[in-house]
Amino acid sequence: MTTTAPTPTITTVTPASKVRERARTTPEAVALRVKSEGIWREITWETYWDRIETFAHALIAHGAEVGDRVGIHSENRPEWVYTDIGSMAARAACMGLYPTNPTAEVEYLLKDSGCRILVVEDEEQADKVLAIPAADLPALEKIVYLEHRGVDTKDDPRLMSWDDFMATGHSHRAAFPDALERRMAEATPDDLAYLVYTSGTTGPPKGSMLTVRNLQYAGKVLAGSDGIVKPPPGPDDLLVSYLPLCHIYEKLFTVVFGTWVGSQTHFGESIDTLVPDMRDVNPTIVQGVPRIWERIHAAILVRLGSASRMKLLNAAVWLKAADRVGRTLARTGGRHTLLSRVLQGLGNMFLYRSLKDRVGLRRCRFGVSAAAPIAPEILRFFMGIGVPIHEAYGMTENTGVATRNLPGRIKLGTVGEAYEDSDIRLDPETGEILCRHDGVFIGYWNQPEATAATLDDEGYLHTGDVGEMVDGTHIRIVDRLKDIIITSGGKNVSPSEIENTLKTSPFIKEAIIVGDRRKFLSALIGIDFDVVSEWAQRKRIPHTTYRDLSEKPEVVALVRKAVDESNEKFARVEQIKKFTLLTKELDHEDGELTATQKVKRSVIEKRFSDEIESMYS
Amino acid sequence: MRARLLNEILAAGEGSDPILEIDDIHLSFAGVVAIDGVSITVHNGELFAIIGPNGAGKTSIFNCISGLYQPDRGSISFEGRDLLGMKPNRIADLGVARTFQNIELFPQMTVLDNLMLGRHQHVRYGSVAAVLRVGRAAAEEARNREVVEGIIEFLDIQAHRKSYVAMLPYGIQKRIELGRALAMEPKLLLLDEPAAGMNLEETEDMARFITDIKRELGIGIVLVDHDMRMVMDVADTVLAIDFGRPIAVGTPAEIQRNDDVIRAYLGQEHAVAEPGGDE
Repeated sequence: MTTTAPTPTITTVTPASKVRERARTTPEAVALRVKSEGIWREITWETYWDRIETFAHALIAHGAEVGDRVGIHSENRPEWVYTDIGSMAARAACMGLYPTNPTAEVEYLLKDSGCRILVVEDEEQADKVLAIPAADLPALEKIVYLEHRGVDTKDDPRLMSWDDFMATGHSHRAAFPDALERRMAEATPDDLAYLVYTSGTTGPPKGSMLTVRNLQYAGKVLAGSDGIVKPPPGPDDLLVSYLPLCHIYEKLFTVVFGTWVGSQTHFGESIDTLVPDMRDVNPTIVQGVPRIWERIHAAILVRLGSASRMKLLNAAVWLKAADRVGRTLARTGGRHTLLSRVLQGLGNMFLYRSLKDRVGLRRCRFGVSAAAPIAPEILRFFMGIGVPIHEAYGMTENTGVATRNLPGRIKLGTVGEAYEDSDIRLDPETGEILCRHDGVFIGYWNQPEATAATLDDEGYLHTGDVGEMVDGTHIRIVDRLKDIIITSGGKNVSPSEIENTLKTSPFIKEAIIVGDRRKFLSALIGIDFDVVSEWAQRKRIPHTTYRDLSEKPEVVALVRKAVDESNEKFARVEQIKKFTLLTKELDHEDGELTATQKVKRSVIEKRFSDEIESMYS
Repeated sequence: MRARLLNEILAAGEGSDPILEIDDIHLSFAGVVAIDGVSITVHNGELFAIIGPNGAGKTSIFNCISGLYQPDRGSISFEGRDLLGMKPNRIADLGVARTFQNIELFPQMTVLDNLMLGRHQHVRYGSVAAVLRVGRAAAEEARNREVVEGIIEFLDIQAHRKSYVAMLPYGIQKRIELGRALAMEPKLLLLDEPAAGMNLEETEDMARFITDIKRELGIGIVLVDHDMRMVMDVADTVLAIDFGRPIAVGTPAEIQRNDDVIRAYLGQEHAVAEPGGDE
């Protein structure tokens, strides 16, 4: 950087430049809200930019160079996005760690990324990094902590409070007021914006390198009128940021969508307060994963189960109507007929509005489900009560952008159609979905072999998902290429489809289908403790722990009924002949789930091999 | 925005002067001796634990401090003021807050209301102002709510703010009891078996809360509990009693090595487990 160089006039558009622009055009408009000590506090675009600018100055003050990695290990909160976008402003790359990552994984991620500055939320996360010998993390220079409790008394020269870190940013800003402007002006679309570690159901996590160009593509596509949300999103739209921000999905909505569209992002009080926070905000756009939609679905049904007889009767009538409306909408692609509109309007008065109110979905005009396959039954239910959920598909490696169902063109059971300016096709031999557009990543961090196996010479991303075309426009995901089960009879079976159908039962939380090279399919099933426990209480079945409840013959019978119902939807070879109830809840810390709560099939099959074998003996 | 520390919410203790001095108290019920010559001194910023087998007289000592029982002889002074003969509410007004072995909350009220009730000593306005919600009433209510919200955040019970206490799990109710005691903005905190009936995770949470209170507020805390691991982890000073008689007083390490304590507490043949297995 020389002082004589003219200030470039063309700047590369990034989420950072987007926030700066909004801070100039609509400084007083609300960008973020955060609930703390019971009160929603507003953060305007002006303040938002001020924090980002200060954070970026602090990074520069501490010597952060272009391309350096800045980590953050925290739940979602405003400081997360200050770090995320602030890093980008300073042309550093942000990487997120899951709050549930145990020390060993933290060590792997910090080492692999060569993280230089790490922001930790509190004592819990600070303890994880401090448990790693400093000599093993030579690149790590600063550990910036947000919460003082229990951390400010610790003795480690790398520790610095957020306030102190920001103070260095302030001084730097005062001394070199245009340092950040200059750095932003030099940004290029090829800058590394993120290292997003995929949780990896097999092997250690890999860091996907996403560039500014990737984000520009995602921003253009998502904010466009033919993007994902229809009618097009705007500054009046309200969103709640609650999925992990280290995952591309929430990043897309909180960071990319938020800055391109200017929608208002809300950070709730804690991980346990999602429902009350949703009720407070009543978001207009809700991004969810199947597990969330399933849980809301289960919560609604369970709540109805304990209602009075009159209410039950009312609910039965209108749930039936919702089912009818849902079926109509599924047939029309989401366009109402006169009858369905009238029916839904009436149902809204008698039932749906109160159901939606309880879970904060009253004003939800657009729901998205992505990150894993969702059962069509769940989508139909929500469509029926007037919360249209659109299944979309994408992965870290293509910045979360591949296909989506558009309102009016929904096809249930598919992940929808490709966006404009994208090239999505199926491999003629394997049926694997291939994807090429400007959102496709540039490779895995320090893993040329893995990159070569995923990105081909023509620029296609090999997704690892097998798909098939539906009506020539929509794509249906069959399964992960490597998860397809081939029974000993030689029949190809997609386990995820069966698992998702099982999981539509509110009593079933986990289902893992087994049957590769075996005579028949069997299943390991984990009950939803809260739901089954409430059911058991109503049936006056005394129980204590998860294990105890799972072993009750009444519970086994309950699950058997659900399995039988699910089996009716499948051909004979795809039916589950035997099942075993898991006696423990699957957990990330025990290595059974990934940080995004996906089942690690290989771990499960090994850990529960006795249970599996006994089903086949 | 970071969470406030407790000393940013509540008045903190200062220095390490003695705050509670008990000198040779005796108490008996119809000839049964409950307390037999106990003397303790608790300082600001000190966590003082009393251990002993069931029926050793631990809760009786608490009841003497908080004014529910009157000792037959001996003296109890708080900040140099004699507590003997004072009514429990008067003692609470002075800044002595306690939790109970069996939870004593209002089960039909919300968590928020229970905690707000903990602020009642700090209410200085009259009933007319309260009804009209004017002047000091409005300002004080706002200030009290601010304190209570800080405590809710500290105890991580935001999800239960509007729940009725009766509907909540036992472990959460114990937390709320601690919260109510904190809301009183005490100078001395008496905790009667805060971890009783809790599982390992809940006990660890409780130990963390107690440690944080001590570190951030620097007030005197007297703790009675059966969970040896927790007591040995968090306490600065431990008093072991048996049949109302003091056996030993010292640091956790000293108490664990004390033969009389081992005999009284665990029977002759046992040894006290090392806390946390370290060292």
